[in-house]
Amino acid sequence: MKARRLFIGALGVMALASVTIFGATSSAHVAKVAAAKCSTSISVEAPYATGPATQQGLEQLHFAQYAVAADNKAFGIHVSLGKNDTGLNPALATTVTNSVVASGAVAAVGPAGSQEVEAIGPIYAKAGMAFISGSATNSALTTSGANPTFFRVVAPDAVQGPQDANYIIKKLKPKAVLIIDDEEAYSTGLVSVMQPILANAGITVNHQSYNGTDTGATLQSDMSSLVSSQLNPSETVVILPWQSAPNANLFATTMAAAGKTATIFGTDGTDSPGQFVASGAYVSNFGPDISTSKSKLDKAIVKGVAKFGPYGSFGLPTYAATDVLMRAIASVCKAGKKPSRSNVLAAVKKTKIPAGQTPLGLNIAFKSDGDLKNGVFYLFHINAKGTYVPVPTKA
Amino acid sequence: MQIFIQTIVTGLVTGCLYALIALGYSMVYGVLKLLNFAHGDLYMVGAFIGYYIIQWFGGSSALIIPVWLVIIVMLLVSAVAVGGLGVAIERFAYRPLRDAPRIAPLITALGISFILEDSVLLLFGGYVRSYNTPSFIPYSASFHISGVNISSMQVLIVALSVAMMAGLFVLVNRTLFGKSMRAVASDREAAEMLGINVNRTIAMTFFVGSAMAGVAGVMSGLANEPISNIIGFLAGLKAFTAAVVGGIGSIPGAMVGGLVIGFCEAFSASYISSQYSDLIVFGILIATMLIRPQGIFGTPPLQKV
Repeated sequence: MKARRLFIGALGVMALASVTIFGATSSAHVAKVAAAKCSTSISVEAPYATGPATQQGLEQLHFAQYAVAADNKAFGIHVSLGKNDTGLNPALATTVTNSVVASGAVAAVGPAGSQEVEAIGPIYAKAGMAFISGSATNSALTTSGANPTFFRVVAPDAVQGPQDANYIIKKLKPKAVLIIDDEEAYSTGLVSVMQPILANAGITVNHQSYNGTDTGATLQSDMSSLVSSQLNPSETVVILPWQSAPNANLFATTMAAAGKTATIFGTDGTDSPGQFVASGAYVSNFGPDISTSKSKLDKAIVKGVAKFGPYGSFGLPTYAATDVLMRAIASVCKAGKKPSRSNVLAAVKKTKIPAGQTPLGLNIAFKSDGDLKNGVFYLFHINAKGTYVPVPTKA
Repeated sequence: MQIFIQTIVTGLVTGCLYALIALGYSMVYGVLKLLNFAHGDLYMVGAFIGYYIIQWFGGSSALIIPVWLVIIVMLLVSAVAVGGLGVAIERFAYRPLRDAPRIAPLITALGISFILEDSVLLLFGGYVRSYNTPSFIPYSASFHISGVNISSMQVLIVALSVAMMAGLFVLVNRTLFGKSMRAVASDREAAEMLGINVNRTIAMTFFVGSAMAGVAGVMSGLANEPISNIIGFLAGLKAFTAAVVGGIGSIPGAMVGGLVIGFCEAFSASYISSQYSDLIVFGILIATMLIRPQGIFGTPPLQKV
């Protein structure tokens, strides 16, 4: 009898152990299967290796890498990130985009520049792939209809231009301004938005251009000529809607060396602490500076991105752009489907991330044209030490 | 009037930099009949050397030795290093092709140009750098004369360029090396038969030309121009234009051609628009080839009857 009880007891223990082991391996197996089903790839396009904006490109790359690492862990998915340098060059962007499409990636983050989006939008549209930029701000990118799968987590120039122009009108109060474009789509787009607003406020606008691709002694000659012959004494504000922070800094130093004291106002393309350090200048940007934020999420992001590279406010929206894609992929997987270009695109369109879950400080949701709903711009003032100090944008 | 004089100052500074690079083109063409398209990238390498010397001495905001000493070190090290690089390029890339059809070394030169650009990119990255000159040479060290502003850097660039051009003139016309160089440029085989060491003469020519390009690179950096691996391309093209306008193979021609291009660029940027300055400069190149292909100081090729 006793032996019989012992035998039944042993059988019970063995059965329990078997169920436990089977359950554990089954869960692991299910998880593994789930991860395998939710295993896909995306790509980031940024000017991190070549071209005039490598500092900003590196920021974008590092934020994308951190977002993928963090969200893979948070959502239990396995997404790999391909990286592609575009050099802020439409021709190079076209080449890398074709290889991204051929690689089988389901979506992409970037590119950085508006002129690049113009070049590659149709390629991604044909492939049915969503691509989300953290910095391309030309308004026509979403209004033209040429880029149906393009999204952005930053406000367009239709927001930046009026905001900056109104700030200049109400706070800096110039009688005349000099605005210089670098002939790129981003730059001319901003000029076309800002110039009428300034002119309607009774400000004389002197609009000049220079070849933004010039380098070396030619570039120095351009800057010297702009400062000496185009900058009139009555023009107390100089607006530089450029994509090259070093060029903006060269203009500032050339102007200072000539003894001229106009206030420089740079747009988001000049946001690069360490490269554009003109004391007294203003810089507008589409991303806040969260380096001193007390929020738990912001602190985690600042700490996390440091493992990939130094923090910078220009690259922060690329974290948000990548996060949108990762959440879209996770939602597809949660619905029991394998991520594909079409279902990820559909998921991106339905994105709704509350403000508390993103470092941008606003809800992330897209309009039907791919623009961010209720996007804002931020403003910084460069102090004597070259530090970017946030200033209120409400003029 | 103030703008006119300021433009002359800008043109003079730019012209001197182009002249220094153009001299290398002309010297090499003179002895080898080779257009060394890698020459502009030697200027770029010189700029990088100068940048890293500043970092080695503590960075632009915290130099550990006097500014004048840093500048001298930058200029000397860049001259010697880039001169040596030029000699190495001649020895391993051009000398084996000396008797090959002219297209072969031309294509090699283009290849060397890409190798230099991409090597610098791989070694140092694409991050655009700056000497941040105002950190160690303040704006107050400038001259203001009747509303015209001349920075101390601009004075240094012009003075040093004139000194180097004068030194080169003496070297070419008053020294044995210069005589050898002119003999090799005139007839290489005859020079060899007369006992001139042609290989050494050509190597020294490359050294001198490359050293001048390296110094031009440092001076560009001191003018606070952004430094990256691609700055040599446009500078090389402009210097090549200057050499052709002045007369390719002619040393005085390269000097004058550099100044002509520098002034044209500055005046077109000041009085028309900087958007058109490249158009105008390269338009001058085409016009020169059509109207006077030998350049200002070049001699028309002799035609045997």
